[in-house]
Amino acid sequence: MDKQQEFVLRSVEERDIRFIRLWFTDVLGVLKSVAIAPAELENAFEEGIGFDGSAIEGLTRVYEADMIAQPDPTTFQILPWQGDVRGAARMFCDIQTPEGEPSMADPRQVLKRALDKASALGFTFYTHPEIEFYLFEPLVPGKPPKPVDSAGYFDNVPRGAAHNFRRAAITTLESMGISVEFSHHEAGPGQNEIDLRYADALATADNIMTFKMAIKEVAIEQGVFASFMPKPLPDAPGSGMHTHMSLFEGDRNAFFEAGAPFQLSKVAKSFIAGLLKHAPEITAVTNQYVNSYKRLWGGAEAPSFVCWGSNNRSALVRVPIYKPGKGQSSRIEYRALDSAANPYLALAVILAAGLKGITEEYPLPEHAEDDVWELSPAERRALGYEPLPWSLADAINVMEKSELVAETLGEQVFQFLLRNKRSEWEGYRYQVTPYEIQRFLPVL
Amino acid sequence: MASRQAPTAALLRKVGVSDPAQAIEALTAVEGICGTTVVEVPESLAGVADPDLAIGQLLRLAESARDQGLLDSLSALAGAEARLAALLGGSSALGDFLVLHPEVLSVLVDGGIDDIAAGARAGLLQAVGADPEAACPVASLTGTEGIDALRVEYRRRIVRIAAEDLAAANPLQVFPRVSEALADLAQAALEAGLALARADEPRHVETRLAIIAMGKCGARELNYVSDVDVVYVAEPAEGVEDAQSIAIATRLVHATVRACDRASAEPALWVVDANLRPEGKDGALVRNVESHRAYYERWAHTWEFQALLKARPVAGDIEVGRAYMDAVSPMVWTASQREGFIEEAQAMRRRVEENVPTAEAEWQIKLGPGGLRDVEFTIQLLQLVHGRTDESLRVAPTLQALGVLRDKGYVGRPQASRMDEAYRQLRVWEHRVQLDRMRRTHLVPNTEEGLRRLARASGFPEVEGFLEAWHEIRRDVRAMHLEMFYRPLLPVLARLSAGEVALDPEAARERLASIGYLDPDAAQRHIAALTEGVSRRALIQRQLLPAMIGWFANGAEPDTGLLAFRTLSEHLGDVSWYLKLLRDSAVAAERLARLLSTSPYVTQSLLASAEDVTWLDSDEDLAPRALDRLTEEADAILSRADAPDQAIASLRGLRRRELARTAAADVLTRLDTVEAACTVTHVADVVIEGALRVAMAEQARAGGSERLPFRLAVVALGRYGGMEMSYPSDADVMFVYEADDEADRVEADRQAQQVAAEVRRLLQAAGQHPPLETDADLRPEGKNGPLARSLASCAEYYGKWSEPWEAQALLRARPVAGDPGLCERFVELIDPVRYPEALTEAALKQMRTLKARMESERLPRGIDPKRHVKLGPGGLSDVEWTVQLLQMRHAKDVKGLRTTLTLEALNAAVRAKVLDRKDATVLEEAWRLATRVRGAMALRGYPKDKTNILPHDARELRALTAILGEDWSASELDDRYSRAARRARSVMERVFYGWENKEAG
Repeated sequence: MDKQQEFVLRSVEERDIRFIRLWFTDVLGVLKSVAIAPAELENAFEEGIGFDGSAIEGLTRVYEADMIAQPDPTTFQILPWQGDVRGAARMFCDIQTPEGEPSMADPRQVLKRALDKASALGFTFYTHPEIEFYLFEPLVPGKPPKPVDSAGYFDNVPRGAAHNFRRAAITTLESMGISVEFSHHEAGPGQNEIDLRYADALATADNIMTFKMAIKEVAIEQGVFASFMPKPLPDAPGSGMHTHMSLFEGDRNAFFEAGAPFQLSKVAKSFIAGLLKHAPEITAVTNQYVNSYKRLWGGAEAPSFVCWGSNNRSALVRVPIYKPGKGQSSRIEYRALDSAANPYLALAVILAAGLKGITEEYPLPEHAEDDVWELSPAERRALGYEPLPWSLADAINVMEKSELVAETLGEQVFQFLLRNKRSEWEGYRYQVTPYEIQRFLPVL
Repeated sequence: MASRQAPTAALLRKVGVSDPAQAIEALTAVEGICGTTVVEVPESLAGVADPDLAIGQLLRLAESARDQGLLDSLSALAGAEARLAALLGGSSALGDFLVLHPEVLSVLVDGGIDDIAAGARAGLLQAVGADPEAACPVASLTGTEGIDALRVEYRRRIVRIAAEDLAAANPLQVFPRVSEALADLAQAALEAGLALARADEPRHVETRLAIIAMGKCGARELNYVSDVDVVYVAEPAEGVEDAQSIAIATRLVHATVRACDRASAEPALWVVDANLRPEGKDGALVRNVESHRAYYERWAHTWEFQALLKARPVAGDIEVGRAYMDAVSPMVWTASQREGFIEEAQAMRRRVEENVPTAEAEWQIKLGPGGLRDVEFTIQLLQLVHGRTDESLRVAPTLQALGVLRDKGYVGRPQASRMDEAYRQLRVWEHRVQLDRMRRTHLVPNTEEGLRRLARASGFPEVEGFLEAWHEIRRDVRAMHLEMFYRPLLPVLARLSAGEVALDPEAARERLASIGYLDPDAAQRHIAALTEGVSRRALIQRQLLPAMIGWFANGAEPDTGLLAFRTLSEHLGDVSWYLKLLRDSAVAAERLARLLSTSPYVTQSLLASAEDVTWLDSDEDLAPRALDRLTEEADAILSRADAPDQAIASLRGLRRRELARTAAADVLTRLDTVEAACTVTHVADVVIEGALRVAMAEQARAGGSERLPFRLAVVALGRYGGMEMSYPSDADVMFVYEADDEADRVEADRQAQQVAAEVRRLLQAAGQHPPLETDADLRPEGKNGPLARSLASCAEYYGKWSEPWEAQALLRARPVAGDPGLCERFVELIDPVRYPEALTEAALKQMRTLKARMESERLPRGIDPKRHVKLGPGGLSDVEWTVQLLQMRHAKDVKGLRTTLTLEALNAAVRAKVLDRKDATVLEEAWRLATRVRGAMALRGYPKDKTNILPHDARELRALTAILGEDWSASELDDRYSRAARRARSVMERVFYGWENKEAG
C-alpha cells in the first residue's frame, strides 16, 4: 500500500465517503463508471476491479470479456455535486487485460502512445480547448428541445438561472481543480462556451471528461439540461470544440520563430501542413457522429474546407494574431473538432497528423485570405481548398484507407470504430425523417 | 665490482628482472646515494609485479630523498624492504607519489592495515586542520591547500594498505580487510571534505547534513579506485526553514565533492556519484528525511530498494544519518511483495544466465561471462528470492551474504566455498589492475608486459598459470550459478555429495515460483521422481536437472516441460544412449528442454519415438533431408520389403520421422516456416510415390500379370500442390490414368479405380505410424466424379464442362507421382486451361463472386473473421486468390507466373510489372506472417480445425511468439497480424476485386 493509496483511504474515512466511482472512457468517449463501497477500496488498489468489458463499447472483443480497472489514486477527487454529507468520490482507472497488460482498447492508452511518439522527437504537446454546449429546459419526450434563454427563462427572473448556473459551474469545476474561463455565446440561444486552461494533452483530455460530467450534473441541480451534441438546433450554430495547440521543446515553444511570417517556425509550418493533409482521414474521429456533419457543413463559421489562415474565421486551421513579446504563447487553432468527440482519440490523431507533417517535412500551402464560404466552388477548386468529408459515411470511407489513423489508434480500436460508425450510418440511413414525410408524402 | 656483477645479474634475471645490466647500474647508483650496500634486493624482488620498475622507482626515490634531505627516512625502512619493493613494483602511480613525498615513507613501517583504517577519520580531519573530537568538525585549511592536504594524507594511508596488500603471502586472505580499509578511508575522505566545505560556508550550522554511502562503499567492500556512490540527506537546524537548509546543504555537498574529485596539484581521489538518489540524475541532490521516505513509499522501483540494502551513513550529522536509515530500511524488504517481483527476478536470472560476451568482455574482470558481476548477481538473486521470508539474509557485503546463504542451507557448501574463492580472486585481480596507475579500470591489460605484471602481482609466476586460473574461474562462476540456484531444488536423497544442500519444501517453492513455475508443488514432485533412487538414470539426471530446470523456465510452459521430461525419462528407462546423450552432448539437453516446454506437437512426437532425441545433439541431423536422399531411402524400403503392408508401414514411419525432425528444427528456429512447409511437402511426395508403387505392384500381382494395362499418375492440388503443407495438413490429390492403346478400356478403368482407392487406403488406414489423409474432392466433378479419371476424359471435361474455378484450382496442380510421360501429358493438357488466352469477363465475374461468397459462407460461425488467418480478410486465401487472378490473366505471356508456388508467382508478377512492388511486399508480408502463425499453432499442438484461428489468450499468444522466435508481447503479435492483414486486404480489394472506392456499409 503506497502513501497515495493510504491518503485516499484516509480521506474516504474522514470525509464519510459512501461510495467511490471508478471512471474510465469507452472508445466512443462516453464516461463509464463502476461504483464500489469503501470496504472494497483496498482490494481495488491491490488487484483492480474486474468488470465485464463486453458491455462497454469497443473495450473488448466479446469473447474476452473480463477486464480489470486499476484505479489511479493520484486522480482521487471528491465529487462536489453529490452533497457534502453523504459524499461520493471518483478516480480515473487504467484498463488492463486479465494478464496485466494495458488494454489496447483503452483510449487513454492510445493518447499516451501518441504522446510517447512526440516525446521521442523531443516534443511535449499542449492544448487548450474551447468547449461549446447548449442549455435546454428539461427535455420533454416528443417535443423539440427548448433553449433556456429563448424560452424567456432569463427574462422572467432577470439574470437568475443563467447566472446561477455559471456561478455553480465555476465553483464546481474549480473545486475539482479545473480552472476555467466562462463566456456566454451570443450566437445561439442557450449556447455557452467554457475555455479550459492550457495543459498537456493527457491532462486536457482527462479534464474534458471531468468537465462534461460536471456540467451535466450542475445543470441537473439547476433544473436545466446541458448537451454537447454537435448540432442540436437546425437554425442555430453548432457546438464545436476549437482547440489551440502547440509543441514545446523543453521550455521553448517550438512553434515560435521571431521575424518569420506569422512568427511561425518551420516546425509549426510542417505541423499545420500535416494537419491539413491528413484532416479528411481524421475527421471520422474528430467529428464522430452523424450529427457532427450537420455542424461541419452548417455554414456560418464552420470550417468545411481544408485551408489555413491567420485570423481567418472560415479556415480549418487558424493562426491567432501574434502579440509581441508572447513567443511562448504561439499556437495554432484546429477548428473542426466538436464537443462530442472522444478527446483522447481526437487529440491523438491530431497530434499524429501534425507530427507526420514534421517528420516527412510537408511543405505548407499558401494561406487563405478570403472567406472561403464566399468563394464559388470553381474558385475553391482552383485555389486547392479540398472539402472535408461531408457525411459520416464519407468520413468513414476516407478513414478506412488511412494508415496514419490505423497506426495511431491501434488495429483493435481502428477496427471497432469502423464497425461502430458503419452501423451508426446504417441506422441513420434507415430512418424515414419527418422532413421526408412533410415534404414528399403529400405530393408523391 | 666485477666480482659481484656476474652472479647478481643471473640472480636478478632469476627473480624476474628483464634488464639486469640497467638494474645493476641503478642499484649501484642507489648504493652511491645511500652509502650502504643493497645485498637483500634480489630476495625482496622475488614476488614483485615488475622488478625493473621497482628498481627504477627506487633510484628516483633515493634521489628525491637525497634532494629533500630525507635520506634518513629511507634508511629507516629496514625490515620493510619487501613492502617497499612490492609497492614500487606493483603501482607506478603510488611510487610516483612517494617520489614526490618521500616524507611519508615512514608509513610503511609503523602500524598495519587495521590501524590505518581505524585512525583514518582522525588523521584526515587533522590533516585539514579540523578537530576530530568536534561534533561538527570544521577545517582550518581552506582552498587548494586544504584539498591537497586531504589528498596527501589519504594517499599516505593508501600507500600502506597497498604495500601490505601487494606484499601479502596470500592476498585472497587479506582481501576483505583491504576492501574494508579502503571503504573506511573513503568515508574519512568524505568527512574531511565536508570539514573543508564547512570552512567555506559560514552558515553551515543552519543545516544538518549527512552523507549516506551506497553500493560498494556502503557495503564496506570498496575497490582502490571506483566511483563512490552516495546520497545526501539534510534536516534544518532548529529555527531554520527547510528550503534554507536544503540550499546550504547543497552548497556544502558541491564543495565536499570538489574536495574529492576536482583537479588540483594532488590528483583527484575518485568520482563521487550521487545518481542512486531518488529520481536519479533529475532528482534534487539533497532531500530531507521525509522527502526520501515519501519517494521510496511511492515511486521507487524494485532495484532502488535493492540499492538501499547497502546504504550506510558515513559522514556528517550522525543523528540525521540514523533517522534516514530508520525511515527507509523498513521498506527495503517490503519491495519483494510488490508487483512485478517475479518478472524482475526472472529478468535478473536471465541477465546472469545469458551474459552475452562483447568484444571487450574477453578482457573484462567485472562484466564478462563468469565475471564479478555474475558472482554478485547470483548472490543478490538468491538474497532477493529468500530474503523475503528469511531476515538473516538481509546483509550487505557480498561475502557475508554468501556465508549466510551457505550456513542457512540455501546453497551447497562446496559451491559456496568455490564461489567465495572466485570472488576474492577476481577482486584481487581487479585491485591489481587498478593499483598500477590508480585508475578506475576493470580490464586485464592486453599486452604481454601488462599480463606478466598482473600475473606476478597476484602470485602467478607465469602468465600461462594466471590465464589458466582466470579461465577456470570464469567457467566455475557460471557453473556455480547453476549449482547454487538450481541444484538445491533437488531433494535430499538426490544429493551427489555430503556437502550439498537440499532446500526445504517452502524455500524450494519460493525459488521455483520466482522463475515462473506455476505449480511449484507439482514441479517438486517431478524433480523428486526424476532424481530419487540408485539407478544410473537417476544418477545422471541429478547431474543434469539443475540446468534443465532453468531451461524449462525459459520456455512457454515450464511445468509442462518438466512433466514431459519426466514422462520421456520413464518411457526410456535406462536406455544407455539416451543417458549418454544427455550427459555428454553440449546442446541436446537444452534443446530438449526448449522443445518439451514449448511445443506439444514435438513433445507428442518425441514420446511416440523417443530415439529421435538423438538428433538434438547434431545440427546436421536437425537439417531437413534433401528430396533425393528421401527418394533413395524410399527406394531402398520398397526394394527390400517383402509384403506391401510392411513397405507402407516403413514409408509412413519415414514420414513421421521427417515431420518430427522438421518440427523440432522449426521450434528451435533453425529453419523458417516456408522451408519447413517445403520439407513437409517433399516428404508427402515421397510417401505417395511409394504408396502408388506398392498399390500398382499389388494390383498386378492380383491379376497375375507382369504389368497393368494402364499408367497412373497422382497430381497434387491446393496447398499440397503449392508446397505449403503444414504438419497436420491433408494432401489434396487427384488420380489420372491412361489406358494402353490395345487394352480393354472398361477393365483398365476398373483397375485404375481400384489402384487409386488402394493408394488412399494405404496412406490413411489406421496403423502404427500417423496416416497421411488425402482429399480428392478437387477432382473433376468433385465427389460425384470417378476417383481416377482417364487423361482423355480429363481433356474432354476441361475442354467442355469445367467451371472457371476448376481452371483456377489447376493453377496449383503439380504431378507428384506415377508415370513421368503421363505426368507430362497431363501438364500439356491443363496448361491451356489454367493459363488461358484471355480471362473472359464472365470468368472474372464468376471468380470474384465465388470469392465473395466464400468469405461469407466458409468461415466458421461465431468467430471474429479477422482472426481467421486462412479465410479471414487479408488472410492466406486473399493473397492466394489475388496471385491466382494475376496468373490466369498473364501466365500465357509471362512464363515466370507458371508456378504453383505463391511467393514465386508473386515475385514473377513484380518482375513482369503486372503487380506494383509495394503491393507485392504488402501481400508477401501478410502471407508469410499468416503462414508462420499457422505453423506455430500446429507446433503448439492445436487440432487441425483450430490452426486457422488466432487465439485470444495472452499466454498462448506469447507461446506462439516464442515459437516464431520473436520477442513480441501478446498484444504486439495481435496488432502486427491485424495490421498486416488489413493492408493485404486493401491491396487485395484493389487488385483482385478491382474496387477503387469501396462503398460504406
